[in-house]
Amino acid sequence: MRIAILLLWAWCVVIAPSPTRAEEPNGSAALFATTCGWCHSQGGRAPGKGPKLAGTERDDAFIVNRITHGKPGAMPAFGGTLTPEQITSLVGYIRSLPPE
Amino acid sequence: MRTKCLQFLLATSFAAAPFAAAHAQATNSGEGSAKPVDAARIESADEAGADWLTYHGTYQSHHFSGLDQINTGNVKDLEVAWTHFPGRTTRGLQTMPLAADGVLYYSGSYSRLFALDGATGKVLWSYIPKLDEDLISRQTHSPYNRGIAIGDGRVYIGTVDGRLIAVDAKTGKPVWDTKLINSQKLTVGFTGAPLFVRGKVIIGAQGGEWPYRGPIFGVDAATGKQLWEFDVAGGTDEAKATWGNDSWRTGGGGGWMPGTYDAASNTVWWGTANPGPLYDWAGPEWKTKGPRPGDDLYTTSVIALDPDSGKLKFYHQELPHDAWDFDSAVGEMMMINRDGRDLVVHPNKSGFIFVYDRKDAGLANVWPIVENYNFVKSIDPKTGELIGRRDMTEGKQATPLCPAIDGGVSWNAGSYSPKTGLYYKIGNEWCIDIEIVKTTPIVEPQVQLNIGANFTLRPPPNGQIAGHLDARDPVTGQKKWEVRYAQPPLASVLATAGNLVFVPDATGILHAYNAEDGKELWSHNDGLGHVGGIIAYSAGGKEYVAVATGWGSLVGDDYDGAFGEPYKSMAKDAGAMIVFALKQ
Repeated sequence: MRIAILLLWAWCVVIAPSPTRAEEPNGSAALFATTCGWCHSQGGRAPGKGPKLAGTERDDAFIVNRITHGKPGAMPAFGGTLTPEQITSLVGYIRSLPPE
Repeated sequence: MRTKCLQFLLATSFAAAPFAAAHAQATNSGEGSAKPVDAARIESADEAGADWLTYHGTYQSHHFSGLDQINTGNVKDLEVAWTHFPGRTTRGLQTMPLAADGVLYYSGSYSRLFALDGATGKVLWSYIPKLDEDLISRQTHSPYNRGIAIGDGRVYIGTVDGRLIAVDAKTGKPVWDTKLINSQKLTVGFTGAPLFVRGKVIIGAQGGEWPYRGPIFGVDAATGKQLWEFDVAGGTDEAKATWGNDSWRTGGGGGWMPGTYDAASNTVWWGTANPGPLYDWAGPEWKTKGPRPGDDLYTTSVIALDPDSGKLKFYHQELPHDAWDFDSAVGEMMMINRDGRDLVVHPNKSGFIFVYDRKDAGLANVWPIVENYNFVKSIDPKTGELIGRRDMTEGKQATPLCPAIDGGVSWNAGSYSPKTGLYYKIGNEWCIDIEIVKTTPIVEPQVQLNIGANFTLRPPPNGQIAGHLDARDPVTGQKKWEVRYAQPPLASVLATAGNLVFVPDATGILHAYNAEDGKELWSHNDGLGHVGGIIAYSAGGKEYVAVATGWGSLVGDDYDGAFGEPYKSMAKDAGAMIVFALKQ
């Protein structure tokens, strides 16, 4: 029985995929490529379904508000999914894009 | 004597007209058929008839009308008969209308549903469901609706908040309303049309890049009770074994466009969507490594289901371990017979057309409709093996991926004319620059799409972005003629027995071509781009052509950046059902 429990622990920790809320993974660039890159082309560097984000003149408060609440008919609201920290990290990612 | 005879006929005809009109109004029917739209009528539906009873026209799925009042000789006299505006047309009008007994039924964004007099456009009833607007504000693939089903006196429609609804076909009153998936958690629902089959309604959920299992449902048409669920990601033990590390739990799948029904064998044919994440960083080691190691059954497959039990009968996986977002969810399952062999012709989003034996989905042929592809070198037409497949690893890719994520073909349908023996289908020439990024699926507190890449639409390496309407043999792929477009058309195509092929294009022009040689015979500017369906039907003995007009969509939204005007300024929250007839 004890061995079975240990094996179960090992499976959970080592083998099983652990998809959860997106706080763990691999930084804001990966988070962007998970959900945002569908519309904001080339990682936000080019216009696509959504606008180009690199070099945006919008201030941080506007971007946070847009990610949180979206834009009806154009952009989904991510405030229910992403934490405030994650949204802040996405703002940092957008600011890191060189304004080409 | 002859003159007097004609005068008498004219006088009696005009005298009878008001009675005929009153009768049509009283019965809500231009055709006055006494037969209800039930399984028997749909199964025996003849393409020469006046109706359009399923998403794909008939179960044959030819998207062909046998009506020929409008033909190559008089199409120059085609004009707008009436127009209807559904309102709240966010992302354009993507629907395929249906027609029965002179009544036109169609859906708009937010699952707004209308029944109109097919001759005049008069509203017979409307049904506007109350949807979870807070959920819709969080959805990416929303709030468009691509169509409906009709049968046993009811009209059936899915919703983006995970429900299947039946309303009375005569009154528009709701009959039942069944919640099938937890959209509040999954953030996806239903956008594709249901399929009515012998007292059951079958509908597939959105899926693909969403980390869940992409179900297809069978529902009792009379009561709304769920009868079965088939999970595209790991729906059988055999399938689960094709997903390393139990990744079927977040595998994606889904079946977001309706398939069709083979009554002779009581089999539903359905196309399934891609696995998630969309792009995979395992490279050549995809069988054992990466986020979803293995073939990932039954994603990107054509599956055959028993409509009574939902059990899988047989399948063919068009792209094992799809690493390019080239779904098989394109709903066309075109049934034809060639040399005594019953076949099914099905376009994959990659731009390859698969031809199957109808008895077991054994391959009869595979041929490409596009010129630009490099996700494989080729596909073996006998075995279906992907030869020289291109499996990418993490990082920026040195060469563009072709075709683009938008597809060598998109989800709208082509058309097959039994009269010419030709398959009329749009192919797209475009690619993407792509960088593969390792991601982790987000499943808490709500599921979100999982892409795994950054990408940009771009022209093919040796040419410009283009679309083309091809007229080809559906089995061999041999091309008879083509028409080129600077921007790929995204709407469905309609061939008719009048030897016409109608193509609603992206800029807003509706074209009519000679089905034999592709010569343009007529065009009309509908004022907005097209991303939906087109049908022909008869009301009061007169032929009409109805086209969904209104721009937007997940592919169309890319046109602003790729092409600028007219898309940059084109309304993406407007649309109309525009109906054409010959001048009186």
